[in-house]
Amino acid sequence: MNDTALESFTKRYESLGGHVHAAGNVESAAQAVLEIVRERSGTRVAMAGLEEHLAAAFGRVLAESGVEVLREPFASIKLPHGIDECQVGITGAAFGIAQSGTLAEVATNDAVRLVSGLPRAHIGVVKASEIVERFEDAAPRLRAIFNEHSGACTVSFISGPSRTGDIELILTMGVHGPEAAYVIVLDDAERRVPQ
Amino acid sequence: MTERYERLCAAVSKALETPERGTALQRCMQRGRDSRGRAIAVLPGGEAFRAEVKAIKDRCIERQDELVAKFTACAQARGAHVYFAENGAAAIDYVLQLARKRGAATIAKSKSLTTEEIEINDPLIEAGLRVIETDLGELIIQLVHERPYHLVFPAVHKLTAEVAAIFAKALDKEVSPDIPSIMKVVRAYLRPIFLDADIGMTGANIGVAENGSIVIETNEGNGRLVSTIGNCHVCVMGIEKIVDTIDEALTLVLAHPVSSSGQLPTTYVTWMAGRADMGDAGVPRETHIVLLDNGRKAMRQDPGLREALNCIRCGACMNICTTYGVVGGHTFGHIYPGPIGIPWTAAVHGLDKAAAFAPLCISCGLCKEICPAEIDLPMLIAEVKHRVAKRDGYHRADRTMMSAERFAQTGSTLAPFANRALQNRTARRIMAKTLGIDADRVLPAFSRKTFKQLFTGHTSSVENPLRKVALFIDVYANFNRPDIGMAAVECLEAAGCEVLLPEQHASGYPYIGYGDLDRAREAAAFNVARLAPLARTGCDIVAIEPTAAYCLRHAYPALLGHSRKSLEVAERSFEIFRYLLDHEPEFEHVGGKTDRSGRRYGFHVSCHQRPMGSGREAVEWLRHRGARVEVIETGTCCGMGGTFGLKAGPLGQGLSKAAGLGLCKKFKESGVEAIVSESSVCAIQLREGTGLPVLHPVELLLPAQG
Repeated sequence: MNDTALESFTKRYESLGGHVHAAGNVESAAQAVLEIVRERSGTRVAMAGLEEHLAAAFGRVLAESGVEVLREPFASIKLPHGIDECQVGITGAAFGIAQSGTLAEVATNDAVRLVSGLPRAHIGVVKASEIVERFEDAAPRLRAIFNEHSGACTVSFISGPSRTGDIELILTMGVHGPEAAYVIVLDDAERRVPQ
Repeated sequence: MTERYERLCAAVSKALETPERGTALQRCMQRGRDSRGRAIAVLPGGEAFRAEVKAIKDRCIERQDELVAKFTACAQARGAHVYFAENGAAAIDYVLQLARKRGAATIAKSKSLTTEEIEINDPLIEAGLRVIETDLGELIIQLVHERPYHLVFPAVHKLTAEVAAIFAKALDKEVSPDIPSIMKVVRAYLRPIFLDADIGMTGANIGVAENGSIVIETNEGNGRLVSTIGNCHVCVMGIEKIVDTIDEALTLVLAHPVSSSGQLPTTYVTWMAGRADMGDAGVPRETHIVLLDNGRKAMRQDPGLREALNCIRCGACMNICTTYGVVGGHTFGHIYPGPIGIPWTAAVHGLDKAAAFAPLCISCGLCKEICPAEIDLPMLIAEVKHRVAKRDGYHRADRTMMSAERFAQTGSTLAPFANRALQNRTARRIMAKTLGIDADRVLPAFSRKTFKQLFTGHTSSVENPLRKVALFIDVYANFNRPDIGMAAVECLEAAGCEVLLPEQHASGYPYIGYGDLDRAREAAAFNVARLAPLARTGCDIVAIEPTAAYCLRHAYPALLGHSRKSLEVAERSFEIFRYLLDHEPEFEHVGGKTDRSGRRYGFHVSCHQRPMGSGREAVEWLRHRGARVEVIETGTCCGMGGTFGLKAGPLGQGLSKAAGLGLCKKFKESGVEAIVSESSVCAIQLREGTGLPVLHPVELLLPAQG
């Protein structure tokens, strides 16, 4: 990953109608999450497939602002209905693709897919070092993911908000999936390792 | 046969009564082509992906048995149930049993043309299940009990106001006729269906053998919800969708939406292997993959139809099909609509169903040029027409059009008399009745002396020729306008070429258009046999009719199994302006005396020129002579379709003229003084449709003309 890849990812994702926030560290990422949740008037947020330290930081900041946070394994709620009642869903992405403005989300539990699929707004979190440049670069990444998870596994490519062209081929955003799609790109340490 | 032809004529007539519907559809098709163009402009490698898709599909279909076995084993290893269904009935039965076993009440579906193919919904509904389509387009047509109008946009024929009315009626509430309001209503209606469905049913765009995953491409997000929520998921997938590797799948994941909606890729691409748990409820969750044969294995063994298996269901061919744009996907289709619908219908629904709409293909060939898998659609469709005709015979008008050469020969021999007959109303009405030639089309007059006769009497002035050129003359320049042929000779000789006229027949393209592949192969073999020895000795072959050049370069090799001879001829064959321009330094004095400054021409690109430079060589050549030339196009065929537009009735000039309206309007509004076209048949359509003179560019190179 280099700055050009982040730039092209951002440009592409935003051209698809999504929003990209670059966050220098976990705290500013949590702040960005909070801002988005406020913008969406969120009172209930679901999180899944995030690294533990991220989930903890986001949970803390949201709870402090009075937002109810649902976390895996979602033992206390009825699935999928409980997730559908959230205004915002937050999931982690294994990698991103700059060329196409795509996030690749891995689910070995389908609750992850509910979190990115049911609420009206979705936030995907990806590390800057995990953004590959070209679409075909996704092949070795996908192969590694499916090799690592030898049982049931679903990878979802998400490129912006839900859309349709089914009426007169006129592009319209937000049908069944999220109408608003955000990506927080986390500037992780690996990136600063000198070449 | 006649009854079927009459039924099709009636359907076309009906479509011609409501031209506004066609106009709306054509707008959508244009939007689809424009989005595709924009996407290809930013896709690394541009159009090169098409050759890659073809290579992937060719090799995966070749290895089909092995890949089906590999996919099955890998999917099972990840916990999926895989069932091989020989036909639609077996697939339906499997799903029915499954639903019964699970005590299911509701099935939520995302878009799947394969389940449309086997018409799975009705038997499920009859068995008491609630089956709901969740893709917006599919839901719309489900509510009005219609079939898909388009592969990718099944409800493209429903305008916004109609859609609002459909939902208002179905849901018994008010719906404002604007898309955002409709979306709100649809989201609210479908939400509980998504959440409470017992079974989610999807198709798949790709099966990946390497890891046993299915790939589902969607934009709305319904495919994700349907494949996630119900504890039982069923995927119905044709076996031709299976590729070997993730890398191959990634290429298709871009190729598919580039061609249909201009996306890179669709908003959601789900790579689903096995079935994961949901939360920690401990409820067993299943996925069932129904691999459907339903005629596909037989298609693979059938050389005439096999290439149709390369279809990736993008729908691009219907976005460029001019007659589809007039009559729409219900007339131009059975369940699979559009050009690709013809061979697919023949293979999975039977020859009769395909025969009902195959004559709508006018063999312009543009679908081949837009297809992401470079499928030779005109040839597949010709094969279907051929099989229908061998069984049921040819329609009278089609027979006439296939005899164009003989007809023209007679016309030329009897020229003064024949030309008077062409002007005579009674004679034309008789011709319409007996031969099926439209009485109102203004046909070009025949020349008493043919080009062959003129050329034989002509002596070349070229000494020490720079190169040898064999002219491939075809029907029109030989029997109607030998002066154009002689002008070409003059241009080539002025450039120091020795011009030869070897023994030859007409190109024979009408045999492809109307489905007589035996005679098409005869014509191809005859011409190739005479041209190949010349090509081998370094002689170039030049044609002045785009379709003739297209035959030499593309159709003959396809007809002759890409024989060595046919390829030798193809390699040395050129459309005349390409040839002149390729040798510009040597030929710059050609037409040097002609000055066309201040003249303003509109250039028409004939369909068969599209794979050969789209006429830009002729345009450039005329611009060299000072003319202002603009290319005026809609991106589809002018509607003439070779001789199709000369046929009497709705399935001829009626449809042809309707298809040409948009282009003719553009020419009329452009303010050009004349139209320049290299195609003799397009010229008939444009002359009648615009009232403007139509010239062959060769005419403009000589001082005396224009």
